[in-house]
Amino acid sequence: MSRALPVLTVLAGIVAIWYAAAVWMNATWVFDQAERAGTTVTWGEVIPQTMTQDRPLLPPPHQVGAELWKGLFGQAITSKRSLVYHAYVTFKGTMMGFGLGIISGVLLAMAIVRFRVMDMSVMPWAIISQTVPIVALAPMIITLSSQLGLEGRDLSKAIIAAYLSFFPVLVSMVKGLRSPDQMQLDLLRTYGAGEMATFLKLRLPASMPYFFASLKVAVAASLVGTIVGELPTGAIEGLGARMLIGSQFGEPLIMWAALFAAAILAGLLILVVGFVERAARKRMGVPS
Amino acid sequence: MKKLITAAFLAAVASQASAEDVKLQLKWVTQAQFAGYYVAQAKGFYEEEGLNVTILPGGPDIAPTQVIAGGGADVIVEWMPAALAAREKGLPLVNIAQPFASSGMMLTCLKESGITSPTDFADKTLGVWFFGNEYPFLSWMSQLGLATDGSAGGVTVLKQGFNVDPLLQKQAACISTMTYNEYWQVIDAGITEDQLVTFKYEDQGVATLEDGLYVLEDKLADPAFQETMVKFVRASMKGWKYAEANSDEAAMIVLENDQTGAQTENHQKRMMGEIAKLTAGSNGALDVAAAERTVASLMSGGSDPVITKAPEGAWTSAITDKALAQ
Amino acid sequence: MTALWLAIGFWLAAWAVNVWLAGSRLSRTGPGRALVPLLFGATVLVLWEGLVRGLGVAPVILPAPSVIAAKIAVELPTLWQDFAQTILKGAIPGFLIGAGAAFLTAIAIDRSPFLQRGLLPVGNFVAALPIVGLAPILVMWFGFDWQSKAAVVVVMVFFPILVNMVAGLQASERMQRDLMATWGASYWQGLFKLRLPAAMPFLFNGLKIASTLALIGAIVAEFFGSPVYGMGFRISTEVGRLGLDMVWATIAVAALAGSAFYGLITLIERGVTFWHPSQRH
Repeated sequence: MSRALPVLTVLAGIVAIWYAAAVWMNATWVFDQAERAGTTVTWGEVIPQTMTQDRPLLPPPHQVGAELWKGLFGQAITSKRSLVYHAYVTFKGTMMGFGLGIISGVLLAMAIVRFRVMDMSVMPWAIISQTVPIVALAPMIITLSSQLGLEGRDLSKAIIAAYLSFFPVLVSMVKGLRSPDQMQLDLLRTYGAGEMATFLKLRLPASMPYFFASLKVAVAASLVGTIVGELPTGAIEGLGARMLIGSQFGEPLIMWAALFAAAILAGLLILVVGFVERAARKRMGVPS
Repeated sequence: MKKLITAAFLAAVASQASAEDVKLQLKWVTQAQFAGYYVAQAKGFYEEEGLNVTILPGGPDIAPTQVIAGGGADVIVEWMPAALAAREKGLPLVNIAQPFASSGMMLTCLKESGITSPTDFADKTLGVWFFGNEYPFLSWMSQLGLATDGSAGGVTVLKQGFNVDPLLQKQAACISTMTYNEYWQVIDAGITEDQLVTFKYEDQGVATLEDGLYVLEDKLADPAFQETMVKFVRASMKGWKYAEANSDEAAMIVLENDQTGAQTENHQKRMMGEIAKLTAGSNGALDVAAAERTVASLMSGGSDPVITKAPEGAWTSAITDKALAQ
Repeated sequence: MTALWLAIGFWLAAWAVNVWLAGSRLSRTGPGRALVPLLFGATVLVLWEGLVRGLGVAPVILPAPSVIAAKIAVELPTLWQDFAQTILKGAIPGFLIGAGAAFLTAIAIDRSPFLQRGLLPVGNFVAALPIVGLAPILVMWFGFDWQSKAAVVVVMVFFPILVNMVAGLQASERMQRDLMATWGASYWQGLFKLRLPAAMPFLFNGLKIASTLALIGAIVAEFFGSPVYGMGFRISTEVGRLGLDMVWATIAVAALAGSAFYGLITLIERGVTFWHPSQRH
């Protein structure tokens, strides 16, 4: 109870601010409409009207909630109108990208820590790679992968997601693998430990807290990558595609519902990653 | 055993169909703007011709011209200005059919901005789409003698997103709309028609040809590909005429093909109704006079024309002649 | 085809030189440190050029680096205008506001256990959201110009930095905190002398991640409406016009700007967290 109370207080505060903002932002439109119609409205009339607009500037929480409920539970989850279905499509892309990102991030970090030449030549470019706006590369990834005979846009989505998610893993792993200080390294040397043993017994365990801390960021980055990949590269399916359609057809409710569905998906992913992290820490005997 | 037979049957069908695969890249997301192709597919018109057509929806980051250059599609739906500009860039696109006879592009302004005629555009902010759709606008402005680089006495150009918000939020005096889509979103948003002033490109004499079918010139030299395209155009036009005549049914077919599930019946039915007005009167054959008007309009851009020289061989009637002959 | 083989040959040779350089004494010197990545970058460019020329890739799919370089030289004024709009007006103010707000919020939460228990789970959750989806909404709210881009950047960078900062404030060890307590240090003394310095590696980790998010945010936001300049505008417009050389020129500028930004943060980090083991290799 003592843990839930602060969170609930903060959430209640957010909802209150949200309602107030919705009234304030949507009121402009009501006043404009009244002016165009040549009538005047009082605040008592304005407030109810700000709660039920079809295309509000900021939909109030209950409107988003209703749309989200309809999307999640209003139909069979296999229907393409179901947000569950689209969340699943996005989830698949996210997982593919996440897996690819972890593998490439960890391998690259190991190579960078081990080989000085890799560190010197690749690390700066790995950083630079992140500064390339991936959205600009998206159409090129699609064109090139279709030329290579890879059908479907799942893969290009996963590549974009991996491109964003490998970096936090790489940065944290390099930091983590280097985190043992000289005294610890010296100690292992006095034990006569070889390079492999140092890596397995000291560097790898030492890097684990960094690794798991980066996973949360990486899975979130992967989700962002997937949605960015769905948004502009042919709105076919997935939450990103729904956001685009919502934006294009001036249906803010669809957009907000997709955004919250993405939030729920992100929350679930974080929970799972957090659970794995705790389990791994416990197994490795790292004090939390 | 039964499963095995089914599988064998499916494989046979697949191999037969794959004889004439056609990949069509659309210019934008699945919507009634492309109803003819979806109808032709749903009603089996492509199948009757022995074609296996894959329709690839577009999106804000997908340039059909680039997709076809990369071999990702056999035929694309594109606007003539963008296709001609691509041709000048060295991508030899050829128009093989023109299902859209007229242009649906407009500039929609709020009356309260004080705009009553195109001469009032000076010093106003206008919303325009880019990504290859800006050419008709730019050539119109240069014909009006209005600078678009933000200098005084010219117009301020905004790259508008995919919706009509800039007009509703009064960030722009006018925005680009299509008769079949954005215009109705403005109306839906609660602004009445008499609060708006609309300039159709068609009425201003600056219309350019919109959705046409384009293929690569070197591929068209192959008689087998030509034959496939004849079938494709014939079936597509059959689809278009069916869609025109049965607009509500066509809208529902489009809706079924929308994989995002976010499109609404209301929007699509209305869009189909407006689209039918644009395809009316076209049997698929390109009106050469209209194409030449498009070229003239694009070249008349004063200091900054969209294309610098009249294209040669940018369209052919070879396909439609054969497709319509039977 | 010869171009391709020449390029591959160059690549192998350069890699051998790099291996030798990294092992030699030269790599301990400043120029040596710079030479290795530059050589590596050059091999990538040569390989790219060789691929494009050797395989005859169409310029509308992938232009050769030499073509892109020529484009950069010709279009410098346009590129500068785009850079000023997107980076100087959109990304950097957004980053500074977002990072500053996150830093202060972390300290505010730290002071109040109630807020910490309430805000931290919420903040953690929001940090994981695909905030980039807010871009169209924020463009609708803040208009077309750089303000909406900065707003997207603020929201994108705020939570990653906040989460890292809060984790960092808890990074000091129990024994160290107890030591401060036995010395009779006040809360603020403990914060400034122990816990803030201990939080710095985490903060910079967050700042680095946020620096790349800032660029993505500013560019994606331009997709949903912008004036007729800016890097996101240029990219999306030129893709539509098949001006791929200009697209890559803009990408190059973005990469350069992003690297400079990241490099700046790294330099500051070196100065601030010189004591951390990761800085001592």
